[in-house]
Amino acid sequence: MARALWSGSLSFGLVNVPVQLVSAARDLDYHFQQLHDKDKVPIEQRRVCSKENEEVTWEEVAHGYDLDGKQVVVTDEELGSVQPRKTRTIDVEAFVDLGEVDPIYFDHPYFLIPAGDSEGTLRAYRLLVETLADQDQVAIGRFVMRTKEYLVAVRAREGVLALSTMLFHDEVRPAKDVESGGKKPSKKQLDTAVAIVEGLSTDWDPGRYQDCYRERLKRVIDAKRKRKTIEVPKPEKEPKPAPDLMDALERTLEQLRDGEQPRSERRASDGAKSGGRSRRGAQRSR
Amino acid sequence: MPKSVWNGTVTFGMVNVPIKLYSGTESKAIHFQEVHAKDGARIEHRRVCPKEDREVPYKQIVKGYEVEDGQYVVLGNDEIKAAAGNRRKVIELSDFIDAGEIDPVFYEKTYYVGSRDDKDAFELLYQALRKTGRAGIGRFSFHDREYLVALRAGQGVLLLHTLRFHDEVVSGQELEVERGTKPSDKEIDMAGRLVSSLSEKFSPRAYEDTYRDAVLDLIKRKARGEEIDVVAQEEPAQGDDLAAALEASLAGSRS
Repeated sequence: MARALWSGSLSFGLVNVPVQLVSAARDLDYHFQQLHDKDKVPIEQRRVCSKENEEVTWEEVAHGYDLDGKQVVVTDEELGSVQPRKTRTIDVEAFVDLGEVDPIYFDHPYFLIPAGDSEGTLRAYRLLVETLADQDQVAIGRFVMRTKEYLVAVRAREGVLALSTMLFHDEVRPAKDVESGGKKPSKKQLDTAVAIVEGLSTDWDPGRYQDCYRERLKRVIDAKRKRKTIEVPKPEKEPKPAPDLMDALERTLEQLRDGEQPRSERRASDGAKSGGRSRRGAQRSR
Repeated sequence: MPKSVWNGTVTFGMVNVPIKLYSGTESKAIHFQEVHAKDGARIEHRRVCPKEDREVPYKQIVKGYEVEDGQYVVLGNDEIKAAAGNRRKVIELSDFIDAGEIDPVFYEKTYYVGSRDDKDAFELLYQALRKTGRAGIGRFSFHDREYLVALRAGQGVLLLHTLRFHDEVVSGQELEVERGTKPSDKEIDMAGRLVSSLSEKFSPRAYEDTYRDAVLDLIKRKARGEEIDVVAQEEPAQGDDLAAALEASLAGSRS
């Protein structure tokens, strides 16, 4: 069973469900360790007090904050006394439609699992799962984990409660200064671009996309282990904008209609391996 | 707007759209430094070779991947870079999907997409995504790592979301959560009514991070030399009677 990162209660109305928080994302990356070049011994990170020049255990570490040039030290216990209910309880404040939450708010996915196996806990948990699934609603609440408050969305997913931490509205940057586009496209341009998008449309099937970076890194590690030299691929040049946008659109659409995977000329001419999967018309949703 | 973090080109078919990326989010959490509780002195993290028991300068550190117990394959930075592939400046949109189909668990980080020189192609891409409600799926290399991304038209801005890969997402079935007994019809009905009564439109501004201010307040009180009351944390009472708790909640939400 996954490690609990937090435990407390999910509270909605006067119903409290004791729960534990576990991560819904697993880290599959290849992690490197720092080694001492000379003897290939793994480096240890040691915490040292800059004043005493002595190693410090984790228990002796407190939190320092620079308040207008003056250092203030607070302890875990003191931080725990700030809004203590929030550190133990996720209070549901509202129920909303999932579709109304812009994905920009989503941070990290977790699951909430029942804490303990008492009949009352399991039943209340199941009631909440079934109610959220039936009504297709997401519970919005807040709680504090490791000295940070999170806005969260709790919903039913695959028979369990899924929790997503979210950003607060002031953590989403204003987009108004982002440089936007040029002139409005002509009807013909837009219709052709829409036809291309529709032509390349498919159902979302996450299983179709593999983490090629992870696979390549594995190959690099294996090659190095066998003492083979590793060739660093030359970065591909950045393609230039098409001189005639309408022409590029029309030729792309033609290729699509001929049942070809549309490719930029750059890739066709430099003979780069496609790396893409073959496309069959039957797989298309429309 | 802060500086862009990436420059490159989005392609779909033969259409090339030069873009810039900006971070769309920033953490506002209060940041602490590690200090020694006893004397308030800063904690330094020192890299030490345990064999020689002395500090090692950064120059003498290499990256190793443990292939067997205590056996490392050492890789140079260039060799690690080799895994990033050669498409460092291109995001090729290979598929377009209904943006609403992506489960929230896949979303990782969001960037704003800004235009560069060819602003007309940029506008066309935005309009086409806006009109179809579709997101373009592609791959994006950033800091020597390749990501799966979805490009989507938001309210007046083009967004790029990095996505988790399917095998990085834990499924609910893997957890083997024990199922409780089926709630009674009355309980289901009351819970449903409770959800309806608290149902509203999602408005992010309704939720402020009040903890942030409370922590700052604590810091200020501490700076003035105030004694901080460390109160015992209370566990919420767990009622055994689910139906009674629902009933009382409903009565409360109606008032």
